[in-house]
Amino acid sequence: MKSGSNLEKVLTEGHFAVTGELGPPKGSSADFIRRKAEILRNYVDAVNVTDNQTAVVRMSSVAACAILKQIGMDPVMQMTCRDRNRIAIQSDILGAVALGVGNLLCLTGDHQKFGNHPESKNVHDLDSIQLVQMVKRMRDDGQFLCGDKISGGVPLFIGAAANPFGDPFEFRPLRLEKKVRAGADFIQTQGVFDIERFARFMEKVRERGLHEKVYILAGIIPMKSAGMARYMRDYVAGLIVPDELVRRMETAQDPKEEGVRIAVELIHQVREIEGVRGIHIMAVAWEEIVPVIVERAGLYPRPIL
Amino acid sequence: MVITEQKKLEEILRFLEGCERVFLLGCGVCAATWGTGGEKETREMAARLAEAGKTCTGWVVTEEATCDVRTTRRLLKQHNAQVEAADALLVLSCGAGVQTVAALVDMPVYPALNTLFLARLQNLSVCDERCRLCGACILAETAAICPVTLCPKGLMNGPCGGYKDGKCEVDRERDCAWVAIYERMEALGWRERFLIIHEPKDWNAARHPGFINKREGAAAGGAR
Repeated sequence: MKSGSNLEKVLTEGHFAVTGELGPPKGSSADFIRRKAEILRNYVDAVNVTDNQTAVVRMSSVAACAILKQIGMDPVMQMTCRDRNRIAIQSDILGAVALGVGNLLCLTGDHQKFGNHPESKNVHDLDSIQLVQMVKRMRDDGQFLCGDKISGGVPLFIGAAANPFGDPFEFRPLRLEKKVRAGADFIQTQGVFDIERFARFMEKVRERGLHEKVYILAGIIPMKSAGMARYMRDYVAGLIVPDELVRRMETAQDPKEEGVRIAVELIHQVREIEGVRGIHIMAVAWEEIVPVIVERAGLYPRPIL
Repeated sequence: MVITEQKKLEEILRFLEGCERVFLLGCGVCAATWGTGGEKETREMAARLAEAGKTCTGWVVTEEATCDVRTTRRLLKQHNAQVEAADALLVLSCGAGVQTVAALVDMPVYPALNTLFLARLQNLSVCDERCRLCGACILAETAAICPVTLCPKGLMNGPCGGYKDGKCEVDRERDCAWVAIYERMEALGWRERFLIIHEPKDWNAARHPGFINKREGAAAGGAR
């Protein structure tokens, strides 16, 4: 075991994993975190906690993760390279481990142009692959990036993101391979809507044998409305939403119900694809739908390990 | 080429307040080529200042780069009378040129330009930034396309998840640096090089201020 986190146990024991996501508040309320977390409890194996997502200032990921640990849930701490240099990142990682965090998702981070402080300096001292490699070194060699020895262990289950959808398409699997070579234990993908394309991506992944080296969790984004579907299709970087799904959302009597139906269908479809070891449901600001989707997808109850 | 832009006249007049007589100095290399501080622009600036009520004691454009102390010193000596007659010097060059002049005279020296970046000049209207002067060139590993400069996140190991149709998420008009690198690698038959993991960059070489003394055999980029 790398960290012995619940997520790691679920995956290593061969269960189809389910992770959820929680965006900390634009404020200081611990109750907000607890409230959102309680919705997800027992329906997901671990909860991603975003790190100032879309470059909008929120409560720190490490603090929100600590609150999840206090109430007995398994957080996946997201860590971006946008706001901290290698000194601050390593320091925060040690702090997170001290607070019981067992999963770390290494990300580049959204550009601050899209956030609420577009005039801020971007750091990017490391990129996400270098971050994965550094965390692996901290864990496996007990060393900081500079080579100094770390006192105490750094047991972390290391994650990275993958986007199977950017064009040109052919080097997406190569980028994933770099993350695996750098030391990623698990991968959470961008939201999957275009199953045909995702299947092609997974085929390339299998050709390179990557599915045997890393646990791949397919991203699922439940759609709440036709407007959201159109917005994701037209404006969200790295997403491909087929027109057919947008049409279904537009013509549905009950768009929320249609969104759930589509999410459940997508879960069944990604589950069929060899090498997919779980799903990551991103329903920020619609957490209450997660239990519904998990149950209807036949993924409830979750394993207790 | 060092790319500059002219400051707005109001800003220049603001710092020239109280200086009635001004001597102008343009740069004959980068600023002349890019059309911000050559002969034509220096003459135009003199005319605009005159319109605003200033007296121009004279103007000159350095034949070499203004940032070369040896030739700029000589030129200032040749125009000593006009320089002495002025209350201030206005320099139409990059920041390095302005400071070169300032170190040679005992009077106020002001910049007429903003210094933007180090660029490739595609033609006299189009240039694009190509080098961040990071001090540790990685072009050998990136098919001679610089991600430190061309990727807004300076990513060293491939693109982020945000590119679309080969364009950057930060600016949809601009090509993704890593898509360009990958395509060039493919064309050169270097596909496997994409899989090399580049270690975190040593930013020591990018520290400021840079200083070199070849005679002492001092290392490049050391702070001083």
